Amino acid sequence: MSEFLSMGGYGRYLWPAFILGFGIVVLNLVMALTSLSDAKRDAKRRLETQS
Amino acid sequence: MATWTWFHRLGSPPHVYAFARRWTPWFGGGAALCMLIALYGGLVLAPPDYQQKDAFRMVYVHAPSAWLSLMIYTSMAVAAAVGLIWRMKVAHAVAAACAPVGAWFTVAALGTGMLWGKPMWGAYWVWDPRLTSELVLLFLYLGYMGLRSGIDDPGKADKASAMLAIVGVVNVPIIKYSVTWWNSLHQTATVMQMGKPKMDGAMLWPLLLMFVAFALYFAAVLLIRLRAELLRRERNASWVREVLA
Repeated sequence: MSEFLSMGGYGRYLWPAFILGFGIVVLNLVMALTSLSDAKRDAKRRLETQS
Repeated sequence: MATWTWFHRLGSPPHVYAFARRWTPWFGGGAALCMLIALYGGLVLAPPDYQQKDAFRMVYVHAPSAWLSLMIYTSMAVAAAVGLIWRMKVAHAVAAACAPVGAWFTVAALGTGMLWGKPMWGAYWVWDPRLTSELVLLFLYLGYMGLRSGIDDPGKADKASAMLAIVGVVNVPIIKYSVTWWNSLHQTATVMQMGKPKMDGAMLWPLLLMFVAFALYFAAVLLIRLRAELLRRERNASWVREVLA
């Protein structure tokens, strides 16, 4: 396992790169879902004030 | 005739909203599955490179991020052009939904590239044509988003930002061919080239699968952002009431 993590001595560059790349993958999904739920909430509030 | 019906449907916000809601889980699920298999293939099954050793595995996150940053910008410019030419509001909404995702993947491409550059070139950053033109891409995305948010009138914001997106697309071939046109530290094309890729099959299949995963992921995130964008733009339309009921 430690051999896998060390990646031939390149682990200290490789793992931060994977954390950064896939962190951005997760972050973008979360931001998109938050943006959609905010838009739904705003639209519902607007419809309620209109009716 | 069928083509025109399809094109008109693309311009209809309720139709696009329903399409986005139906297809997001399929694109998202496909992306997650492909990503997991590609990660296992790239990190465990692929052999180390004879020159770069295990550092080459950086390609499985760097190359798909960089490819996505260019693909998203091209999609954004095409959507902006369609919006301008056919005055299609949905197309402008697609362009607006592309920008933040593209900007983040440009950051991913630059950041992972820096972490690859340090052990291979001895420096995190050099003012190399490929790196510099990718940094310009980030500024184009930021400029596009800044311009949109700086104009209150949505119609004017759509038009002004569309012009910037279309003019900025000239940077895409510059990034792609920077490694061939100028002396660059960055390696030349490995997969996206005419003829046979330079990579061995055991290293290549996880990379190709990761490209598919990132494309499916982008489709899923774009459709979620597009739904949010349509709800904001069409807040007075009757279909919004039906959708949220």
